[in-house]
Amino acid sequence: MLQKYPYLPLVILGLASAACLALGAWLGQWIIGLGGAAAGLCLMALVEPMRRHLGLGGNEEEKFVNVVELTPAPRRAPPPSRPLPEPAADCSDGTAVEQMLAQGRYALLLRPQIASTLSLADVRMAQEALDVWMGIVPQGPVMMRCQRYDELEEDDKDRVERRIEVDGFYLDRYCVTNRQYKRFLDSGGYEQLALWDEAIWPAMLQFVDQTGAPGPRFWHNGTYESSKEDHPVVGICWYEATAYARWVGKRLPSDPEWVKAASWPVVAENGKLLQRKFPWGDAMDRSIVNLWGCGPGDTIPVSCHPQSACLGGPYQLIGNVWEWTSTNFGVWEPSTLRLESEMPLKSLRGGAFDTYFDTQATSFFQSGDNPLVRRHNIGFRCAVGVCDIYSADELAADGEGGEASTKHEEAVL
Amino acid sequence: MNRNGVVLLDSYRLTQYAESVCCYICGHGNNFDAELCRHCYAPMALAHQAASQRICPKMVAAIGPSGTGKTVYLGMLTDMLSRQTEPMQLLARGAFSIALQQTTMAALARCEFPNKTPNEPDRWNWVHCQVLRKHKRPAELIMPDLAGESLMEEIEHPNTYAVIRAFLERCSGVMVMIDAARAQRGDSDEDFQIMKLVSYLCELNPDQKSGWSARPVSLVFTKADECERCFEDPQLFATQHTPGLFQLVRERLTRHRFFAVGVAGTTGYRNEFFGRMHVPLRIEPRGIVEPFQWLVESLGP
Repeated sequence: MLQKYPYLPLVILGLASAACLALGAWLGQWIIGLGGAAAGLCLMALVEPMRRHLGLGGNEEEKFVNVVELTPAPRRAPPPSRPLPEPAADCSDGTAVEQMLAQGRYALLLRPQIASTLSLADVRMAQEALDVWMGIVPQGPVMMRCQRYDELEEDDKDRVERRIEVDGFYLDRYCVTNRQYKRFLDSGGYEQLALWDEAIWPAMLQFVDQTGAPGPRFWHNGTYESSKEDHPVVGICWYEATAYARWVGKRLPSDPEWVKAASWPVVAENGKLLQRKFPWGDAMDRSIVNLWGCGPGDTIPVSCHPQSACLGGPYQLIGNVWEWTSTNFGVWEPSTLRLESEMPLKSLRGGAFDTYFDTQATSFFQSGDNPLVRRHNIGFRCAVGVCDIYSADELAADGEGGEASTKHEEAVL
Repeated sequence: MNRNGVVLLDSYRLTQYAESVCCYICGHGNNFDAELCRHCYAPMALAHQAASQRICPKMVAAIGPSGTGKTVYLGMLTDMLSRQTEPMQLLARGAFSIALQQTTMAALARCEFPNKTPNEPDRWNWVHCQVLRKHKRPAELIMPDLAGESLMEEIEHPNTYAVIRAFLERCSGVMVMIDAARAQRGDSDEDFQIMKLVSYLCELNPDQKSGWSARPVSLVFTKADECERCFEDPQLFATQHTPGLFQLVRERLTRHRFFAVGVAGTTGYRNEFFGRMHVPLRIEPRGIVEPFQWLVESLGP
């Protein structure tokens, strides 16, 4: 009532004061009339402070004279994401090949030793899945530079760069998502010791989630937050990333491979390599990356920001999450500037949603971390060499198509 | 001198010299053109700004032993708040107020930590800023980047550094920096040093209503990225790793809260010609604004 008619108490008190005054005059009791009117006026003066005290104040801004109007909040909602391609239908009663395709293990099916035992149709299906989920990066050179390359003078002996020849390879278009990682967990990936480095077996008991179940650090009861299905999996150490990659028949990309995909080198006429600072060019565009100050302050779905994709197809090489690579940290530094740490660090690339400086989210910037840490902003994507993949064309040329049998498939598994 | 050889007397200057200007920190008189206070070495620009803009800035400080990360924290905080509007925005007043942010950010962008703050008060960086918050009055604040060694020296031998004593007496609130990595390693020295600091504050102004027991104190675990559990529950971390401090603040400080902050994602060591240098491998700030925000909210209007 008071919120609807804020001036009602004032009107009532005003009328009451006037009535007191009139009554006093009519009865000839001036003192009583004036006293009543004065009391009414006092109550009128108290109405506004009482309203504020009760939290019934009107416009909040009226309270302060020097109120500063800030510009609208910069915190942004996650950008719209494209729907990820659907994996083959999960059919527990299907053939072994169909099951593996549903699990996203097409790269394993395309290994020469396995593909040669499959039908041409199965190989083609696996090939299609590979084309949907992975981008190809052609073979060629890439220049790997030390961290301080741009700061140092040209004649400085510490200004080191090395030209590395990289074979052609496929790289995941997206970072591995929570949904994909759960398939690995559900298929007993944490119990299959063959997938894990022998040296890490004793430490595997600590690879648990918030409830003590095996899985990424920030999951609960062996599963992820439902709203983060297509977000990159985080809270996994380097060894967990490697085990997943083995399970799907891939591996982690090496440092030169990652840099080649992101910087997409072109050999100039003079033989010099022209490399991009970012996958989309040489200038930072904060509207298409998820870094500190230009995102929601958390991970976003892996298919967001298609404009930031590199020429080969992989999305979000810059921002969202740091990505584990298979190379040790600091190998490109001159021996005089090499960093020391308690244990050898693994290389991280790309920057994450909380990376503060643009200069630390480029194709060239390398960070590193202990391979056992399970941080909130480190994920990974997988790679596989072109030479490790048996294409359907090769299979057709070999003339072995259509001879696969269920017996062979079972042997594979 | 003009062509007739008459010397113009700048007599107005004599008038200016005759009137002393009080230092905003220690209150002692100085010449009108002094750059630093001759008693405490605080910049006189603080007093001039306060007088010319008719404002009365409050003082807050980040205090802690040497190497806890006060400079990195203040530099990062000022840079973050100057780049965003939510939950608050910080606008520097005067060119000298940007020096700390500039030097800290330049070092961090190169993946280095800034140089240790010198012990000489005349070489400290001071920040005078305006903090803007939605639907609230702007707050005027002065924050110096005190040297940890000088601070501990003043605590061990009171009155060694007049500026520290004068500043902390007038301070409205402080952020006490505690090295979480050292605390987690079981280094009890960290606990003792912070206890000394808190005791010093309580002795400085023991009044129950206006003294330090009633002023807001944020207890900030720095380098928490090296011990992730600290982020989950800083108070629990305090009970487990700095039990002496936890009991002391519970008894002596009525308005305090524990926080955890981290600036570097991970760190390493590089051998330079002058020795082993601790370097960050990337910069990803966590929890930086919260301790300051709580402190500013607790200061009141």
